[in-house]
Amino acid sequence: MDRAGETLDPSDDLVTKAVEGDHTAFDTLVRAHTPKMYRVALRITGTAAEAEDVVQESWISAWRALPAFRHESAVSTWLYRVVTNTALAQVRRRRPTVSLDAALSVDGEGTGLSLLGHDLLADTRANPEGQVVRAEQVDAVLRAIAGLDLSQRVPLVLREFEGLSYEEIAEVLEVSIPALRSRLHRARVALLAKLREPR
Amino acid sequence: MTTRESPGDPLDDPRWELVRAVARTTVPTPPGLVARVLKSVQGVRGHRLASGLEIPFESGRLRIGERVIVLLARRLGTELARKLGGVHIAAVALEGDDLQVLVTVRYGVAAGEAAGALRSGLHEALTEQLGTPAPSVHVHIVDVHPN
Repeated sequence: MDRAGETLDPSDDLVTKAVEGDHTAFDTLVRAHTPKMYRVALRITGTAAEAEDVVQESWISAWRALPAFRHESAVSTWLYRVVTNTALAQVRRRRPTVSLDAALSVDGEGTGLSLLGHDLLADTRANPEGQVVRAEQVDAVLRAIAGLDLSQRVPLVLREFEGLSYEEIAEVLEVSIPALRSRLHRARVALLAKLREPR
Repeated sequence: MTTRESPGDPLDDPRWELVRAVARTTVPTPPGLVARVLKSVQGVRGHRLASGLEIPFESGRLRIGERVIVLLARRLGTELARKLGGVHIAAVALEGDDLQVLVTVRYGVAAGEAAGALRSGLHEALTEQLGTPAPSVHVHIVDVHPN
């Protein structure tokens, strides 16, 4: 990912081959990057079904955009941008009929929340490290994140969950680093405020 | 890499440990997702021998490439599936002269009914969009997922 250091990224070579028509190379990219793209999509959209849609749309978009890829950014950064934009479009598309807050709020049946919580609670069980976290605390964090504005949620996901550097996130979101710092700070403050709210 | 923003940094708040703990949990990729993505990409990529659709007009013919048909079917199918609820388009591909649509359904959804509605709705929507009889649509339920 370090462009300045010109670290060889195998994905770069795969993209070059894919542009030249090597379908196997593109398929290898899909296999390598789909898990992370799904992770980001899930944490932005909050539902597994929508995240799947986003991943599929993202790869189709990526394939169509291949000829325009100029290797000016790392392949992973480019793919983060593709999946982030697709996820944002997905969430905005549903907004007129079901707001994100409504979709994720606790109702009598817990329908919306369960969509979000189900997957990630399953993660907690699957991961020994995650078992120490109480399920309701995980749930509270995820609900709080889902309640953030998209402009705060997306950089927060990329920074705190994906571990991207400020430079990488700024490139993905096409914002300046000072603007990103400010947005992330507000996101963290807003998230903590939500975590302090009584349930 | 942790960057401290200022005194009173949210990252220093004890509650932030919860966020870090959630960040450490893994998110499993749904079984079969990669295969479904590959199928979709292959569908859009098209086959070398595929000719797409040809629509005759008085003054000539309009040819619509396979990629266009698959992309259109995917977009229309996704919208229809969203309206139906509990149905998710996993992949679309043109094989021979027919469209193959792979879907997953949420547990509890009347799968046969939903697949039938998707098949007829998609065929109708495609016919309307293309202005000509659309390819036959075949819907395959490939998975059931909880919620």
